[in-house]
Amino acid sequence: MTRQILVVDDQPDLRLLIRMTLRALGEVGQAASADAALARLAESVPDLLILDVWLGEGISGLELCRQLKDAPATAGIKIMLLSACGQQSDVAAGMAAGADHYMVKPFSPEALMRAAAGLLDG
Amino acid sequence: MNETLHTATALPADEARRLQVLIDLDLLDSAPDERFDRITRLAARLFDVPTALVSLVDAERQWFKSRVGMALEETPRSSSFCAHAIRQDDVMVVRDACQDERFAHNPLVRGDGGIRFYAGSPIEVGDGMRIGTLCIIDTVPREFGPEQRTLLRDLAGIVANEVAALELKAAAERDRRSAHLVHALLEHLPDGVLLFDQDGGIASCNPAAERMFGAPCRVLAGLPALALIGIQPKVVARLETDVRRPDGGSFAAELSIAEMTLDGRAYLVGTVRDVAWHRAEQERVRAANQRRHDYFRTASHELRTPMASILGFSELLLKREFDAATGRELIDIIHRQATRMIGLVNQMLDLARIDSGGSAQMRPAPLDLAQVLDQVKAGLEDAAQAGRIVLQPAPAMPSVLADPLRVQQALANIVANALAYSAPGSQVGIGIARAVRDGRSGVAVSIADRGVGMTAEQQRQLFDAFWRAGALPDVPGNGLGMTIVREIVAVHGGQLEVESAPGDGTRVTLWLACDGAPAEAGSRP
Repeated sequence: MTRQILVVDDQPDLRLLIRMTLRALGEVGQAASADAALARLAESVPDLLILDVWLGEGISGLELCRQLKDAPATAGIKIMLLSACGQQSDVAAGMAAGADHYMVKPFSPEALMRAAAGLLDG
Repeated sequence: MNETLHTATALPADEARRLQVLIDLDLLDSAPDERFDRITRLAARLFDVPTALVSLVDAERQWFKSRVGMALEETPRSSSFCAHAIRQDDVMVVRDACQDERFAHNPLVRGDGGIRFYAGSPIEVGDGMRIGTLCIIDTVPREFGPEQRTLLRDLAGIVANEVAALELKAAAERDRRSAHLVHALLEHLPDGVLLFDQDGGIASCNPAAERMFGAPCRVLAGLPALALIGIQPKVVARLETDVRRPDGGSFAAELSIAEMTLDGRAYLVGTVRDVAWHRAEQERVRAANQRRHDYFRTASHELRTPMASILGFSELLLKREFDAATGRELIDIIHRQATRMIGLVNQMLDLARIDSGGSAQMRPAPLDLAQVLDQVKAGLEDAAQAGRIVLQPAPAMPSVLADPLRVQQALANIVANALAYSAPGSQVGIGIARAVRDGRSGVAVSIADRGVGMTAEQQRQLFDAFWRAGALPDVPGNGLGMTIVREIVAVHGGQLEVESAPGDGTRVTLWLACDGAPAEAGSRP
């Protein structure tokens, strides 16, 4: 069965980069904001969520992560936070919000691929 | 010992202390005083002598505080009869100086009209110090009986009493001045001073404390100190505490309390220093540090984001195979993101320069804002924006004193925002008018669009670094444009106003003074 991956990032170029990188792992959907992500999640629950932390308008990636991990229907989704905030406190806050992995921008597509594959197989 | 007594240079025991007492009395070289003059007049009449003196024996001279029948104000101590007289307990009498080996060769004795008769009684003050004599002198030899000695001794006693009375008066004056000084100090000391009684109550306070506590001393006195300063009075040094007023208010204060002994009783005395200003300053520094921290955190985020595209896509290009069209598309993204990044770096440097250089970096010159607006319009109107910028006609304006490049940059940033956040083809109107602000004449430029507008919350964030209105997703920019505008206007001592409502467009008004930045803006570090 094809794996479902959802990329949530407010930067179109980065959504494209992540989708191109992870194409080999499954079907990669995209959303530009937390609201758009929630709308897609209502339709289908992916296996993996690649989630930006600062999403411009609306709730933050951290908050979205927390909500999804708290709701039984979405708690099983593996969540990787992918953020340009790379301080130790940022990573700690991400893990405290329930993320399964935290990766800092800029990132190596190869490293992203390995981490995503690890989460999907884990 | 007897030998010593007979030489003119012999000094009384304790001479140093005696001289100090004399100096402290402050009588030497003072103005004539009737209280002494009436005694010398009386002595001259009583004893029927031509000369009567109140003579003060100084280190090298005798100086006459009062004199009858004497032209000189002072004579050398070496030829002084009184210098001998003060070494004696009782009246010293010289019946005929010519017959006395101590004085026979004295220059005041030799020749016609010289001193023949002398009688002097020591003037004793304080703890027995003999500062001089009351003496009578005649040019002929005389007898001087016991009754006359008693009279002279009594008169000298009156002189001593007058000296003591003067000293008492001087001491009272010194006390008065000292008390006055202490009172004035307490009255004007900016710190509040509290005196505590033995029961932990307020006994007294100074006006600064009255002001701080908002109540007169008579109200504060008797109140338990605990209720005001929050602690039972005890010795403390620079204790930071919230001090309460009787009216229920409170203020941040630094409290110091020390022990004091007055008339054998122990008290506690304290100072209260209002440190609200100090705390506000600490808070200001903390907030400034926080802003700086936030700025760098956001700056780092904003630089990493385009870098993620640049590094990510270039790695894909290096490691994977793409058809020519896709490859070109990815290189185009890399180029766009690198361009965005260098734009961001340049604007950050620009902002840092304006921020740190302040007005020192500015090159103010008389500036016609209408001309600057023509340049701004020309710079922004490419094919896509043609006809959108409308400069409303206005009479000639006075010039403003400002840096031409910075003002052009600020106006261009505002107009670019107006174009970006309104519908393609819609007009951006720019008006210019004379305007007086805070009593200073100047010129106001108003830039109005009919675009998306901003909520009150968005208007609050408008000038925050890296903040961008998110309503239109494809508007390019980095969120530093209006921050730079704000800084430029600030270093020019100008004013910036924003009126906006969602859906109704935005009007930004930039005002600059004709005479440039006021002094305080000019001295900004």
